Amino acid sequence: MANKKIRQKTNWKKELALAPGYLIVGIWVVFTFVLIGWIILASFSTTREIFDGNLFKFATGLHPENYVKAWKTHKVSSYFMNSLVYTLISCTVVIIVAAPAAYVLSRFKFRGNGFLQNLFATALGIPAIMIIMPLFALFSQMHVNQSRGLLIFLYIAINVPFTVFFLNTFFHNLSVTFEEAAAIDGCSPMKTFWMIMLPLAQPGIITVTIFNFITIWNEYFISLIFANTAKTRPVAVGLYSMIQSMRYTGDWGGMFAAVVIVFLPTFILYIFLSEKIIASVTGGAIKG
Amino acid sequence: MKTKNKSMIVIFLAPAIFLYTMVFLYPTIRTVIMSFFKVEGVTDAVSAWKFNGLGNFRTLFHTPLFMSALQNISLIWLVGGVGVMLVSLLFGVILTSGVHGKSFFRSVIYLPNVISAVAMGTMWINYVYNPNFGLLSSILKTLGFSEAAATQWTGPEMVFWSMLVAYCFGMVGYHMLIWMSGIERIPVDFYEAATIEGANVFQRFSKITLPLLKGVCRTNIVLWTVSTMAFFVWSQLFSPVNLSASTVTPMSYMYELVFGASNSAITVRDSGAGAAIGVILTIVVVIVFLFTQLIVRHDDVEL
Repeated sequence: MANKKIRQKTNWKKELALAPGYLIVGIWVVFTFVLIGWIILASFSTTREIFDGNLFKFATGLHPENYVKAWKTHKVSSYFMNSLVYTLISCTVVIIVAAPAAYVLSRFKFRGNGFLQNLFATALGIPAIMIIMPLFALFSQMHVNQSRGLLIFLYIAINVPFTVFFLNTFFHNLSVTFEEAAAIDGCSPMKTFWMIMLPLAQPGIITVTIFNFITIWNEYFISLIFANTAKTRPVAVGLYSMIQSMRYTGDWGGMFAAVVIVFLPTFILYIFLSEKIIASVTGGAIKG
Repeated sequence: MKTKNKSMIVIFLAPAIFLYTMVFLYPTIRTVIMSFFKVEGVTDAVSAWKFNGLGNFRTLFHTPLFMSALQNISLIWLVGGVGVMLVSLLFGVILTSGVHGKSFFRSVIYLPNVISAVAMGTMWINYVYNPNFGLLSSILKTLGFSEAAATQWTGPEMVFWSMLVAYCFGMVGYHMLIWMSGIERIPVDFYEAATIEGANVFQRFSKITLPLLKGVCRTNIVLWTVSTMAFFVWSQLFSPVNLSASTVTPMSYMYELVFGASNSAITVRDSGAGAAIGVILTIVVVIVFLFTQLIVRHDDVEL
């Protein structure tokens, strides 16, 4: 009893010392909620209610038709589906390319290993501006510009270095005994990788894939240049072009509904998997 | 056994190296070469390139709009950088000091990073900065600052700072995570020993946390530099129709110069100058990288 009381007492004292911290972080968090909450409310309101600042009353009821309008007439459905296809395919292929490379770099000693690791690491610092012009020229020559396949190819290539980098650390931390056991059982090194090591690396693969998903879903610059037709646009560029046209039509309810549709997938993913996403940020950044 | 491994190494690395060569190595080299040539269209054949020496760089430094872009990016890097680093470090320290709901706070502060920048920008421009019903003007009105409430946040005078604040708001979470993982790697007994010796919160922070965070600080500065050099979406969002001196950045200038929008302020295509901009930004990243390494290397503390 007495013991418990003392512990509680010291706790309160500690909490009081932390109060300024709670206050500062609290204000920031409230602001974030207000920002996102307001957009969600606005997406269910009419343009007029938004302008009058009467969002919380819903005098004319909820307006889910904003979403229908955004989805259908403003082509968000097309952008959304594009992004979904781009993201799912790229995320899968990135792993197929990056995981074997990361495995070899983390497990085998050979000349140039360190050089290759550094090479992949430098890609994280190369500005996009350095690579787009020659690529644009190259793909124009090949007549594949403004196509879905090209964008997917670029997303894969651009995200390989970070993924190699991340999985490299992950394989490094797996015990070598797995390979030894497999070798004794007569399993070839390559088979060992696909059958044993890759499944073992699943937690790392999932973490880095979620992170890649968010990156690719929100990508803007590359798709602005390489897939900017009404048919091929992903959500970020689609949303931008839509906002541009909204400025003339003045459909604010529809615009905010579109904003919500665009951020909803990553938002929901984040609500459930924020710990994993955060792990991939710190895991990727600290090594550099 | 050894030859077996050799073929495995080659097969497993080949696709990644191929993609790297094609999408990073070859383009980077070509862009560097291109920056020394007079090239009009980005798709022009190499035979149409004319050697120009440092001419592209000279042209750029004599273009007022590009100088504005350089000035803007410097301010974003310096003012935004100092702001983001201080706020994110403060948050990192608060969240690692034993508060309840650490992972909740951490998740919410990082949240803007998972939302498309276009969506975030739309929220800031159309809600926070709206002069009629916006958050900022409502708060200022409630507090009785009616004059300040009437400020046109996205007007020509304020737009740069409005853009910078909106951008930095999202970046805080990312850098906070990096600070936090650095702080969490510092052994707890350091603090316990210091507390026994009678060190207070601020002493512990300045004598233990800060010196041991040098390496993390370097990571943060390099990452900040890399991401600000690519500053583009926000500048497009805050000046959607034309490039304006107050929001232009090297990236948005290069985009107009090379790929040009229909309602562009720039009518002449100049891809050589576009490449030169890329080279300038890369040099900045390299300089910052080498500089931070120099500072930290002198007395790096291994944990």
